[in-house]
Amino acid sequence: MPAILSANFRTWLLAAFIAFALSGFWATPYDPSLQQFRDLALAGPQWGHWFGIDGLGRDFASRLWSGLGNTVGMAAGALGLNLTLALSILALERTLPPELGRMVPLLVSIWVAVPVIFIGLILLVFLGPSAGTLVLAVAVGNVPFAFRQLRVLWQEHRSALYVEASTALGGTLRHTFGYAIWPNLRPDFFALCRLIFAICVLELSGLAFLGLIGDPDFPELGAILRQNQAYLFQRSALVLWPGLLLCGLLLAVHSGSQVDSR
Amino acid sequence: MLALRTLQKLALLALVFVLASFFLHLAVNAVPGDPIALRMKNPDPEKVAQLREQLGLEQPFLVRYGHYVTDFLTLDWGRSLISGRSVLDEIGEFFPATLELVLVALLVGVSIGLVTAFSARWLQWPALRTVSLSLGAVGLTVPIFWLGLIFIVIGSYALGWFPVGGRFDFANELPNGRFFVLSAITSGSLDILVVALHHLALPVLTLALYPAALVCGVLQARLHDPQLTFLLRALKAKGLAPWQIWFKHVLRLMSAPVITVLGTNLGALLGGAVLTETVFSWPGMGRYLVAAVLNRDLFVIENGLLLVVLLAFVSVSLADLAALVANPLVRRGVRPV
Repeated sequence: MPAILSANFRTWLLAAFIAFALSGFWATPYDPSLQQFRDLALAGPQWGHWFGIDGLGRDFASRLWSGLGNTVGMAAGALGLNLTLALSILALERTLPPELGRMVPLLVSIWVAVPVIFIGLILLVFLGPSAGTLVLAVAVGNVPFAFRQLRVLWQEHRSALYVEASTALGGTLRHTFGYAIWPNLRPDFFALCRLIFAICVLELSGLAFLGLIGDPDFPELGAILRQNQAYLFQRSALVLWPGLLLCGLLLAVHSGSQVDSR
Repeated sequence: MLALRTLQKLALLALVFVLASFFLHLAVNAVPGDPIALRMKNPDPEKVAQLREQLGLEQPFLVRYGHYVTDFLTLDWGRSLISGRSVLDEIGEFFPATLELVLVALLVGVSIGLVTAFSARWLQWPALRTVSLSLGAVGLTVPIFWLGLIFIVIGSYALGWFPVGGRFDFANELPNGRFFVLSAITSGSLDILVVALHHLALPVLTLALYPAALVCGVLQARLHDPQLTFLLRALKAKGLAPWQIWFKHVLRLMSAPVITVLGTNLGALLGGAVLTETVFSWPGMGRYLVAAVLNRDLFVIENGLLLVVLLAFVSVSLADLAALVANPLVRRGVRPV
């Protein structure tokens, strides 16, 4: 039982972390982009500014909070797009004639060899640097991984005995999916979602760190790290905190994934 | 089996070349604004048109694509719109720096992963097992660009042991070759070797974390598999010495999954190299390509990105073939399941 309690606790912790992150869109104490404390630039933690002020006179706690929200929001968007694309390709493979359907995994095996960062660069040439381009790049870049995992899950559950039993008992497709397939598929599906979400967070912040997000002031954790790299020796905390938040987010996501495998 | 798989990979490489070159050419042609006009201080329309004509940019799309493919295959990669230098020369300068960084990091990372996982299994110390398990978790949760910055703060700023960035200390005489470590070893120059390794240390440690975590993660599960205990007992009963058991049999048995995992993650390692180069101002291909994309340097984007994509595919395919060779079933002609 303690293990189950611990797993539930981890799930709640992850949910609380995500909720806190998303509240960064509106609940920050100060405007994260407004340079309203220029006379206090690079000041350390103080009453009212718990994480101090950054080099351009912005409340650093507000930027971190908003950055965490943007990182989580962008990664969630990338995850949604990624799963939509991967499921569409999987559906395409199933509906195409077998000769053509066999080409789909072949093309995916080529796709998987191209690193996400280079897919991002190619898309940036097309679309120009922006937060939306990064979301698209990360979603598209991870489609082969999601497709392969979903394909394995589908093949595993399609031929399972309980599915055959449900069909033999006269269950409709909707009934079989809702009562037989989905309850068994759910833990693996959510574990996969968490893994892809964590990969998206890492890759999005990496691309933003490279300066590919376009707006240099955009509060995203990777972009914040890049903005404060210049103050690395002057005020290392400005670099330390965004990284620690990223690590905390990834740790929460990965710890939460143990719930699915309990 | 191996010959057939090699032929399949070569056919796929040709397909990758056609698809990647087509998409890149399409992307470069869809660049918003005129990159030629952007390069000129006072863009005179006549001059811009003349230059576009000269560079062959006024021809139909498919004709230009044909020229691009022929030029790429004949190594006629044009000149950078930013520096005016030959793209081939620039890539010849930046590419060895990236390759040196990636290869040394791979070597160090795999060694760290192997040593940690094997010692945890061999010595059976709980503390070492925890370290081994944590290494896998750290690799998944710590962004390497942040780790690089922390290494700079500790190793360069606080301790003063390592340089903040760059590939070489230019107060010293530059090595003759493009691969500094290799040049220093072959020429027997200890001073150059020390300077090169001094600059490599922090970027390599940063980039090595990922392969170390991967290797450790893969070996953790396999080295603690109960089946292995039976194998160890059988080999011991056969009268083999411990070093023979571990280095001749167990290490060989573990090499196939390690190669497979490393091979499928080589792309991520190349991506990590781009980030590491940015953190440590390492003059490699990653920084060069990112700058080219941001500056819309057409010929660098077309040729540099195509080269990197092809090389990524080749390295993944080579790792795939190496894993096949390392699999004892394949060597005996049995088709692996």
